[in-house]
Amino acid sequence: MTEVSRDRTAARPAGSPEPGEDWIAELTSDGPRRDDALRRLHALLLRGARFQVSRMSGLRAMVGAAQVEDIITLAADEAMVAVLGKLASFEGRSRFTTWAYKFAVLQAAVELRRQAWSHREVPLDAVPQLAERQPSPDQYAEGAELAHAVRDALDRVLTPHQRRIALALIVDEVPIDVLAERLGTNRNALYKTLHDARVRLRAHLALQGYLTPSPGETR
Amino acid sequence: MTAADRPFTTEALSQLTTDPGPWLSCDDCFRLADRYVEVLLSGTPDPADELAAMPTHLSGCSACAEEAATLLLLAGGDGVDPAGALRRLTGG
Repeated sequence: MTEVSRDRTAARPAGSPEPGEDWIAELTSDGPRRDDALRRLHALLLRGARFQVSRMSGLRAMVGAAQVEDIITLAADEAMVAVLGKLASFEGRSRFTTWAYKFAVLQAAVELRRQAWSHREVPLDAVPQLAERQPSPDQYAEGAELAHAVRDALDRVLTPHQRRIALALIVDEVPIDVLAERLGTNRNALYKTLHDARVRLRAHLALQGYLTPSPGETR
Repeated sequence: MTAADRPFTTEALSQLTTDPGPWLSCDDCFRLADRYVEVLLSGTPDPADELAAMPTHLSGCSACAEEAATLLLLAGGDGVDPAGALRRLTGG
């Protein structure tokens, strides 16, 4: 049995109704009907947050067990506020439960990444220089020449900002939410920088003959 | 530790040079994620093709991909093969 099904079994007693198409009606009603819907929604969000954290074993190991529980509870609480605040925007293009889960998943993932990296340094003061490394025999076989071309392209075609962001996210594997927090920006802005950096790298490498553009990709 | 001290791995090389596809913001990815995972679970193509940029976005954004994979598993429950979830999300 997966952790998801375990959670579902624990959260929903036998014989209780499946959350149906009337979540919106129940959550916007009054009295005990709404109270029951709120209770079920919070249980669902806790389940989503807990499952997300359970899948991030590497980061989860970097925080204490009590802190993990705090992260799950906080994520569910914040997701509850978000879901209730956005009920009017729910268009019914997916099941309500799937729509609601995504808020808990996002909150839990972002908070665990932040907590796990809270005491780790993110080197951002200088534009890092890529080290020249001697390729292994496998790397020779798999394209050491391409690796060298990519290193060269990083230096030649990216702006210092693009290079710093691409290296932090991909080489140093800094979580994007953590990097956004340290730089006072957001996930969207950093991903746009990475997107543009990839476009530049690929265009340069295509011109050099190191890769073939994908269909529809401009050179 | 700076990038200069880190190995320049094959995975990093692949991630640096992956085709980013058409632009899709992380906010839009989040907006579409619930619908996208249900389309994948149903096996029915999205008639409006609004989801066309999702696979390449999820291939290029590890945070969005990590969250979308969880959402797919939650939405699919026991009917989803966990090993295949991420592959389907990224168009593989």
